Amino acid sequence: MAFDWKQLDRRRFLRGTGAALALPFLVSGLSRSESELQDSENQVNPKRLACIYFPDGVPMPLREDPAFEDWSWFPHGGGTDFAFTKCTEVFEPLREDMTVLSGFSHPEARKVHGHRNADQFLTAAKIRREGTYQNSISLDQVYAEHIGSQTRYSSLVMSTDGGIGTPRAAQTLSFNRNGKAIPAQQSPKRVFDMLFVKSNADAARRLALSESALDEMLADARDLRNILSYEDKHRFDEYLESVREAELRVQKAGEWVNRPLPSVDRDQMEADITPDSPRLYLRAMLDMIFLAFKTDSTRVATYQIGRENGAGVSDRLARAVGFNLAHQLTHDTTRPGGWKNLGIYCRFLNEEFARFVTRLKDTAEPAGRGTMLDNTLLLFGSASSAFHLSRNYPLILAGGSRMGFSHGRYLNYAGDNPMGGAWRGGPEPYQKEINHDDQPLTRVFVTMLQKLGMETDSFAGAAGDFPELLS
Amino acid sequence: MPAVEPCTMEAELIPSQFPIQSMLTSLSKTNCVQWLPPSKIVLLGSRILFVFFLVSMASSVWAQSKPDLERYEKEIKPLLVEACFDCHSGKDVEGNFHADELNPDLVGSKDIAWWLEVYSQISKNDMPPDSRDLSEADRALIVDWLSAEIQTSEKLRKANGSHSPFRRLTRYEYNYALQDLLGVPWTFASDLPIESSEDGAFENNSASLRMSVQQVETYHELALKALERVTVRGERPPELFWSIPMRAAFEKEKKLNARELKAETRKFEGKPDTQAKQIERLEKQFLPPADRSHYLNAETGDRARAYWHYRKANYAVEPSDTFKPMPEPGTHFAVVQPGSKQGLTVELGDRVPDQGMLRVRIRASRDEGASQLVPSLQLSFGFKATDQGAAIQRVSQQDVPINAPFGAAEIYVWEIALSEIEHRNTYRGEMNLGDQPSPSEYIRVTNSVQGGGASEDSAILIDYVEVTTPVYDHWPPQSHQNLFFNKGEVTDEAAYAKEIIEAFMSRAWRRTPTPDEVDRKLKLFQRLRPISDDFQEAVLEVLATILTSPKFLYVLPGENESSQASGNIALSQNELATRLSLFLWCSLPDQTLLELASEGRLGDRQVLEEQAHRMLADPRAERFSKHFVQQWLKMRPLEFLSPINSGRGLDTALLDSMKQEPIAMFSEMRKRNSSVLDFIASDYLVVNQRLAIHYGIPNVVGNHFRRVEVPDNLNRGGVLTQAGLLMMNSDDEDSHPVKRGVWLLTNLLNDPPPPPPPAVPEIDLSDPGIAKLTLKERIENHRNHAACISCHQKIDPWGIAFENFDALGNWRDKIDDKVVDASSVLPDKVGLNGIAGLKKHLLEDRQEQFVRATVENMAKYALGRELGFGERAAITELTEKVRESGDGLETLVICLVTSELFRTK
Repeated sequence: MAFDWKQLDRRRFLRGTGAALALPFLVSGLSRSESELQDSENQVNPKRLACIYFPDGVPMPLREDPAFEDWSWFPHGGGTDFAFTKCTEVFEPLREDMTVLSGFSHPEARKVHGHRNADQFLTAAKIRREGTYQNSISLDQVYAEHIGSQTRYSSLVMSTDGGIGTPRAAQTLSFNRNGKAIPAQQSPKRVFDMLFVKSNADAARRLALSESALDEMLADARDLRNILSYEDKHRFDEYLESVREAELRVQKAGEWVNRPLPSVDRDQMEADITPDSPRLYLRAMLDMIFLAFKTDSTRVATYQIGRENGAGVSDRLARAVGFNLAHQLTHDTTRPGGWKNLGIYCRFLNEEFARFVTRLKDTAEPAGRGTMLDNTLLLFGSASSAFHLSRNYPLILAGGSRMGFSHGRYLNYAGDNPMGGAWRGGPEPYQKEINHDDQPLTRVFVTMLQKLGMETDSFAGAAGDFPELLS
Repeated sequence: MPAVEPCTMEAELIPSQFPIQSMLTSLSKTNCVQWLPPSKIVLLGSRILFVFFLVSMASSVWAQSKPDLERYEKEIKPLLVEACFDCHSGKDVEGNFHADELNPDLVGSKDIAWWLEVYSQISKNDMPPDSRDLSEADRALIVDWLSAEIQTSEKLRKANGSHSPFRRLTRYEYNYALQDLLGVPWTFASDLPIESSEDGAFENNSASLRMSVQQVETYHELALKALERVTVRGERPPELFWSIPMRAAFEKEKKLNARELKAETRKFEGKPDTQAKQIERLEKQFLPPADRSHYLNAETGDRARAYWHYRKANYAVEPSDTFKPMPEPGTHFAVVQPGSKQGLTVELGDRVPDQGMLRVRIRASRDEGASQLVPSLQLSFGFKATDQGAAIQRVSQQDVPINAPFGAAEIYVWEIALSEIEHRNTYRGEMNLGDQPSPSEYIRVTNSVQGGGASEDSAILIDYVEVTTPVYDHWPPQSHQNLFFNKGEVTDEAAYAKEIIEAFMSRAWRRTPTPDEVDRKLKLFQRLRPISDDFQEAVLEVLATILTSPKFLYVLPGENESSQASGNIALSQNELATRLSLFLWCSLPDQTLLELASEGRLGDRQVLEEQAHRMLADPRAERFSKHFVQQWLKMRPLEFLSPINSGRGLDTALLDSMKQEPIAMFSEMRKRNSSVLDFIASDYLVVNQRLAIHYGIPNVVGNHFRRVEVPDNLNRGGVLTQAGLLMMNSDDEDSHPVKRGVWLLTNLLNDPPPPPPPAVPEIDLSDPGIAKLTLKERIENHRNHAACISCHQKIDPWGIAFENFDALGNWRDKIDDKVVDASSVLPDKVGLNGIAGLKKHLLEDRQEQFVRATVENMAKYALGRELGFGERAAITELTEKVRESGDGLETLVICLVTSELFRTK
């Protein structure tokens, strides 16, 4: 199949300039008072969140399988006493900076086919197999709303495949308050240019339009106040306050437009790169998050390394380690060396993630204390473990020690015998009865949001947190 | 003074079910007085005094026109001292209630909420705890004095504008208003948050319609988006035409089959056994049974499967640039059998545009020797890009019955606004047709007839499908011309902009804008024009501000008729027009209403009545049926039910029909002016085929709702036996008598039971003794707890009367081999014998209460607010009038619209 990267890139970019990367006016839903905003601005250490997702699941050889020892994704052991495998040993130097989690998943997704579970990874929504598609707000966007216009961009949304994909086969991890998919950027060069090279020419114009619109609303509101009774006036104040608040947001956004872009040394960047050079591409995408964070251009980022079920440009990332298509590796685990091959591919993803974590760890917080990693919370993982199985998500939570996260552990909630093994026909693992109750991943989300500074005790309607991550 | 602020007290102390709770909402607003600087209070006070003189002279309805403080000191206070002060005075008081600090001036003081609580407690015999501490006669004295005082207070506060019609449009009203204004029936408000109506209140209740910054921003986005959708730019885009004779579909399928057979043969060359087996398997697969959808060559009887697969866009049909007329009917058909899983899919490729209409014409007839079941077609639009990445959406509003007999096919036509389709294939223009992910899209027609068994022949024969898009009625389309009226060459942009803006303002704000207002918008246009791409963009930006203005979003007091201007509590003509159209059309007044209002003729009773009749006869009155009934009967829980999760026979068609039934019955009753008592018991049902099957009524054919007589011995009729409502008041598995009882009391009788107290003991199912009880026995067991008995004896008997209906609203005589016992005894010792007994009781002993409750509910909905205690008299009067005129539903609407209650603030 001939793949026209240039064409894809241009079109996706045109759509990708929408919600997430645009200035926050009339797009993001910020729901805080000005005083809160002031408070958090005074903080020295920014709190950041990045969620990085890979599709298709991980090697889950059965205990009796010769590949079990070396190529399982999950470590052996538990608590502080655990050993990484060849698949994950690249994390060894970062052992004290991360927590490995098993036995977590979204209750509404546990019977969902693995080809369509990425849509829910950060939203926990219940999505029907067919018929009407309705998603809900994703973890990153909840926090992005909280951050609002404190940074130039409320969030950075990226994926290798770009755009939004289709319902049930998302190519973005991020969904707005109405459950609408936010288009993802796929070109590191575009992201770089947006962050550091040219200001959005359209933004100033849009701001002017928004300002005028708000002026009108206020003027009309003033007319009205003259004819309203005392009682009605009081109730109408809610409208006035809302318009004024919207105005403040526009002003904030306006300040960003006029402020010069941060300068980054272009020479060190290999941004103009495509997935045809898989390792460099992956590295460049993660570097974009690093740079965006370092310059405080945003504090929220998502990156979907690949869409589910192959079928996209991301599938060819496997070429980095000498394979052809990544998704096929998960189907070939019945073959000799199958687990190892999948393990090698996952190890490649782990290497790049580890490199990214290390970079954050080696960089002092630009205007604050500690390292950037101390102030950055990273969620890395997938919504599949065994073949097409949307349970027991492989997850790593890293960084954020200054927010109170405690690491160096493998929290195993999957039990001794998680569902695994290659699929050799018959009912697929995801179709089987649920015989192990996973922990709701929303609890981890709630603790993450709390430590990022939000007052909340539930996510997607599910109450409860997971304080064990802190002790 | 009580230690607690009255505002915060409401929630704690006034039980929400208390009938006069309604007035709290309005009264608590009056508490704002406390935020005024003292000088203003004086002013306000003198105005109240002035107003009350006017009222006292003008109104004879109200016995009393000022607080009777003298009587309080002389007669009432001594009784309170005797009965209440023991516990409720001094330092340590019970319940934080200081009876000794209450200000007897209900008009001037802030203690009204406390007095309402006193009224409640005393009139219901709840206080003093030992009822012997207050004699019946003394109790009556207090109640008598208090109710007079409350009425006085209510009347004076009413004159003070407490009941202003001022409120924001609801989400659905906003949507309809945009539809009527822009002239297209599209969805515009989907991004607005769902209204969070307070428990028990209607969604349009002014007190719960809030505004937030998100909403303000969303309104702005929605307005721009709506205006963009109804306007166009540039030249008319050329139409594309797809012509699909079923002969071509048949032959294509045969060709693909042959190709696959060939490939399979080659694959197993040298393995003759496997080869033969595989070929046999495929051949079988390729020849579908006649009772599945298939393609048919009618001359030879040869069949091909009506198959579709997304891969490689193998089935995509190439469009043409020129229109090809339909040829004479041919020999090949698609035979579409009933069922949502075996439709006819017509793949259109990746060239369907984003805007404009998609016109689908299908030539179809019924099958030969068809049964009396009339089949119907449903149209969907969808795509499948990868094996999981797919979306499909029903795009036909109503199923189209196929009545054309075999051999006399007719052409059936659908027109779909492409911008109404929520999910489109995002790979269009990115991937090539044939690539994976596939950028292709399709339409699918399914035969939606219900209940056809194997013996029933209700197939639909299709011989030709034709698709055209983008279709526009005119260019530019009418909706565009509504805004940018055709001017030919525009020489003076500013003058043209003024015309457009002024006309749009008049319609959106339902009045002539002032020169100042127009001027300001023109200045805005001048400001925006240089930074806009073109004239149209600048104008649309200005129009968007008109739609985001509070002058559009809010129901306003009439122009220059501030409620402060005089003591006049009559609605202005403009306000009346708005109230009327929001009530009956859920939208803003049309030109006729506005003209009548501007001529000052809506005040004429005759004219008002005529208008109400006109509006009820308009299709827009269906909105009234829908939204009033959904809110009155609290049907929102039905929205959360999904047929997919519920195995037991709840399919999509049934669920949809269940949601529709109460609304359809209401509409039918409204059109015939049937007695509102039909809601309790009727000898007819308003059902469609799916519900008729559910209820076991034969010979109801087709998916539209119609009136049918209830067959003998079928325990149906009225809303109480409607499956959707019974299901809504069940839990997943079984009926739920408590829910059903609470629902009946709360919504049909306006007599809600109190909410459960904290720390209610759960029914302990681990107790083997309890686990084996029937539900009714379990409830009785639970009721015997002291904490529960007082409420449950008021609730359960009502719910138990429904026990013959299971969780899907099916009739049952037995539950797990035990005969259903649906008999119960009400607290006043009246026995109810099942649903028939319940209906009998309601009709014989509660008729008045039900009619009154219905009047009250409709009045709340019509006014968009809770009713005050002082408005009880108006409800009584209205109820009497409706009863005298025979309880007709339309009569009720007309009486309400022409009542003083409706025509005043």
